[in-house]
Formats: sequence, C-alpha cells, structure tokens
Amino acid sequence: MTDLTIILRSLRVRLFSTATTVLSVAVAVALLLVLLLMRDASHQAFARGGGNMHLLVSRDSSPLVSVLNGIFYANPPPRPITWAEYERITGNLPLEYAIPTQQGDSYLGQPVLATLPNFFTEFQPGEGEQWQLASGRFLRGPTDPAPEDAGNPPIPEAHAFEVVVGAAAAKATGLRLGDTLHLTHGTSQSRQLGDPNAMQPHVHREFTYRVVGVLKPTGTPHDRALITHLDGGWIIHAHDRRKIDDPSIKTTMMADLLERDKLITGIYVRVLTRRGSDVSASLPPVFAKLRSDPSITVAQPLQQMNTLFRIIGNVDWILRAMAVVVLVSSGVGIMLALYNSMTERRRQIAVLRVLGCTQGRIFSLVVTEAAMIGLAGAIAGILLALVGVQVVAQILRQEIGLSIPPALAPELVLSVGIGAVLLAALAGVIPALLAYRTPVANNLKPIG
Amino acid sequence: MSPPPVLTISNLRARFTPSGPWIVDLPELSLAQGEQVLLTGGSGTGKSTLLHLIAGLLDPAEGRINIAGRHIHALRGPARDHFRGRHIGMIFQTFNLLAGFSALENVMVALMFSDIPRAEHADRAAKLLAALGIERQDAPPEELSVGQQQRVAVARALACGPELVLADEPTASLDPENAAAAIDLIQSACRSQNAALLCVSHDPSMQSRFQRTLNLKDLRRGGPLVPSGFLAQ
Repeated sequence: MTDLTIILRSLRVRLFSTATTVLSVAVAVALLLVLLLMRDASHQAFARGGGNMHLLVSRDSSPLVSVLNGIFYANPPPRPITWAEYERITGNLPLEYAIPTQQGDSYLGQPVLATLPNFFTEFQPGEGEQWQLASGRFLRGPTDPAPEDAGNPPIPEAHAFEVVVGAAAAKATGLRLGDTLHLTHGTSQSRQLGDPNAMQPHVHREFTYRVVGVLKPTGTPHDRALITHLDGGWIIHAHDRRKIDDPSIKTTMMADLLERDKLITGIYVRVLTRRGSDVSASLPPVFAKLRSDPSITVAQPLQQMNTLFRIIGNVDWILRAMAVVVLVSSGVGIMLALYNSMTERRRQIAVLRVLGCTQGRIFSLVVTEAAMIGLAGAIAGILLALVGVQVVAQILRQEIGLSIPPALAPELVLSVGIGAVLLAALAGVIPALLAYRTPVANNLKPIG
Repeated sequence: MSPPPVLTISNLRARFTPSGPWIVDLPELSLAQGEQVLLTGGSGTGKSTLLHLIAGLLDPAEGRINIAGRHIHALRGPARDHFRGRHIGMIFQTFNLLAGFSALENVMVALMFSDIPRAEHADRAAKLLAALGIERQDAPPEELSVGQQQRVAVARALACGPELVLADEPTASLDPENAAAAIDLIQSACRSQNAALLCVSHDPSMQSRFQRTLNLKDLRRGGPLVPSGFLAQ
C-alpha cells in the first residue's frame, strides 16, 4: 500500500468524473499537439516547395500567386508564355537551369506538370536532395531509347506520352508502373472556378500515356503531381486545335506543331552558383533584369512563402491561443472536479488524518492526484494526436498538396506532456488546500 | 512497581469560544495499561469532544493530556499526527471505512503512516483480519455485513499496536444482541494486544462489561453544562 494506491482508489471511486476530466485534458493536448505540428510542418513544407530553384517566372498576376500556382498547383496559370519568349527571357543569363513547365491538365483530380527530363536531373525537390524512384525510371528525351523496349523498333514520339507519378498521386489514383491513362483537360479547381467545360471535362482520349516511373515521397507539393514530357503537352493541345479546323484528323505529331502550340506556363530558374552553395552573387542582377520585363512575373519562392506566413500569422497566433485556452480550461476542469469531490471526500480525509496522515501528505496526495489526471490525459491526448496527425496530413496532402510527415516530434510531445502534467498539478493546488484545511473532528460525525 | 498509566488527564478544559461556557471540564482521569473504561453521559455532555481532545484532533484551552508519557498537545503538526497514528487507535460508530478500498487495504492504510516496515504491512493486516474472523479480505466494505465491517474497523484501530484505543459509541447503531457481540470483540481484541480501552457510550447495558465506568457528568469540576458540539480546531 502506497500513496499511489490511495490516489488510484480515489480516482476509481469517482470513475465517471475522472474519465471525463481525463478526456477533456486529452482533447486539449491532442488539439495543441496537432496545431503545433501542423504549424511547424506546414511552414517547413511550404518552405521546401521551391526546391533548389532561385526564381519562378510566369505570367501570373503577382509573385505570390505565381508561387501558389507554379509550385503548389493551386490553379493552372491562366496566361501562357510562348517558346520563343522562353528563349528570349532565359537567353544571355548566367543560369544553371531554366526548366520550362506547363500546367493545365489533370488526372483524377491530380495536377499534371509537363516539363523536360532535366526537371529530374537539375531541379532538386529540396536543396541537395535528389529525386528518388520507388519504381521504374524518369522521363527521357526524344532520342533516348526506352530500356523496356530494348530489341523492339522504337515507337515514334513515345517519349512524349510517358508519365512519372508522384508518391501521393500514385496513392490517390492507384497508378502503378506500366499502367496507361488519358489526361483530362483542366483541373478540378479550374472547373470549379467557372471553366465553361466544368460540367463536361474534356478527356484527351486520342493520346494514351504510360506510367514509366513512380517517385518516392519528397515532402513537397510535387508528390501529388503526374510529371510528363512537355512534347506530349504540346501535341495533345495542338491536336485539339487541329480538330477544330479538320474534325477528320486522327492524330498529331511533333511535325504538325506550330509555334503557337509551343506554350509553357512557368519557368523554374536557378542562377549559376559555386558547387555546394545555394547563394550566388548573380542572383540580384538576374532577378533585377528579369523584373525589368513587364510582361512576366518573377517570384523568389522562399520570399513569397515568408510573405504568406506573415499574412496568415495572425490566424496562426489565434489558433495557438485557442489551443492554449482549451488546455487551460481543461486545467480549470480538473480543479472543479477535484474541488467538487472534496465535499464527499472530507470524511476520507478526516479518517486518514486520524490514522496518522499529516496535513502535508494530504496536500501532496491531492496535488499528485491532479497531476495523474494530467498525465493520463496527456498520454491519451498524445495517442489521439497521433491519429489526428495522420488524418490532417492526409487531408492536407489531398486537398492542397502539402506533404507533411505525419509524426510527432519527441521534444514537442515531451514538452506538451510535461506542460499538461504541471498545469494539472497547479490546478490541484486549490482543492489540495481545501483538503489540507479539512477539519477532522467535524467530519467524523455519523452521517444523518 | 506498577507500569505508568497510558493516559493521564489533568485540569482539562475546552470550550467553543474564548468567552464561552466550558464544554469539557475534567479535573483528572487516568487509564492504566490494558485497562478498559466505559465513559457514559447523556447527549451533549462532551463525550466525543473529550475523545477528540485525547486524540489530539482538538486543542484544549487549559490542562494537559499525557499519552504513553507524552504531552500530546505539546506536539505540533506532523509530529502529533505521527504520534496519534502510532499510539492511538480509534473506532467510530459508523466505522468510517474507506470506500474503494478492500477490507485488507483499509487495515493497511493505517500501517502506511506508522514506522512498521512496509514489507510487513500486508502480512500483519491479513493476520489481524484473520484473527478477527474476516475471510473475504479482498472484498470492499460495502460487500461485508455490518458485523464484519465492525471487525475491519477494529482491526484497523489495532493495526499499529496502539497503547490506547478510543471507541466513540461503537454500538450505537446496532441491536442489543449485535451490540453485545461487538463490544466483546473490541474488548477481547484490546485485551489481546494489552491496549487500554476508553469506550464512550450512552448505553447503560454496557456498564456491566467494563472494569470501571465513569459518568462524565460526575467527573465535571462544575460550571454550566451546555449541549456539546465540536470545537474549532
């Protein structure tokens, strides 16, 4: 028999009250953990979104919109850049890469990014991180042989209809290596935003794409994208244009493309840097030169993310304040539950005093009891948060393409857990004082 | 040479307020080791108050109470609590067993606050309960009969081997037959441990069972007799 036994018996006698108080602490702890985790993880995920690019060029209305559209696939950029303009914009600049991208199509709600094979070799999803395949291979150029077709005659322009699927997209669509698919013109967002084809999305049925690779997760918005060759993007849209002029045509080849078919919606830019460095003295002049062109929008992704964080900073603060208020209110709940229980426990306290228990020990028993409610609530809350984080992470990945690791940082769990226990112990001080001052003789009287 | 008395009271006075009437006004009283004394008196004569004063749960305005040679009211705070736990056992009219604890645990709780090594607690409590005829030691009090609950209460009072047992109307809620059995149990248990017993009761039928019976009204030094209650602690 120890003090712990007395506490556990006391909690068991008031099982319903104990359970509801523990539950309130658990909900508060879980809410706080999920909010803090989401906040940190989403900041990191947003900050990672730009990978190792320095600049993003597009024709969006503002740099922030450019980043949200070009990196986070919020909406397809509405105004395209022609291939000739791309060459003009990126010519004569000290660039490590200038990767053209085209958005506008989708597959089962997942965005499609048409680009060139150097997207996988030069653009890195995170600084110093390489793309990794879960299966298959990356995109290839028009003259590169397809390893899986070795020994067979090459299929003309097959490279244009290959797809490498992001990890989240593969999970969402069920696509696997070797699967075939047809892309849909527009995205679910663009249809919702008043696209005239919203009710009847146009599927590019004339061109069958084949999955040649599935990527490992990168923790970036690109996880939910399907990445295809830019040539394919040009061909299927040129085909739509040609069908309007001549409905009888069956297919379109690269040779059929006009200059006006060669459109892109963004350019991922990285200026020349020294090996192993992300900073370049060339960046300010390149940025300034690009910005001098009024026909384009130039964004520094990291800077735009910081702008976004500043905008949502107040909301962030309110959410955290709400979580703390919930935690404090659960502390008040502990105090009230223990305080109310004191009425029915006065006799127990008086008996313990008669048996030789000191006032100090009575005080510590009640405070420890409150701390144990906090501990039980913290443990239950952490378990609840583990489930909550999985759910929220999945929602964020599916709805806004934000990939966050669905795991709780040990130091965060520890600090919130300790905080909950300390708060609970603090909440036990007033009931403990009441117990400390319980008059013994008065409470030994026979009931009734 | 006879052993020193377990309890000596001299010039004890207690009242509710500094200017109020005396609730307890007792020139002297003593109990020898192993002696069993019945304290009688009508309602409101201060019987329970006297027991609380002896247990150190209330402080007197004047006088001195020595238990096992120690002036209990000279002890302060935790020291008095420890002393009470070690030297005094109390039995109540309604037993005051702890809800949520088994019979065995109710006895072990008393041992928690003693100097007896923890390793001996379970064995000591079990043997005590067995000696008093309690077989279902893991049962909570509410599953035991009234008689069995009283035995658990007696075992708890005697768990630490006290020199003095204070029983406050231990048979008041029992019928005559069970009351006789209960007082026999308390007396024999105290006798087996050579503990002095001061039993408060207003039941005249108890008198024949005790070596000495004192009427609190007769013991009073004088002064107005007022309905008793509890003093501010």
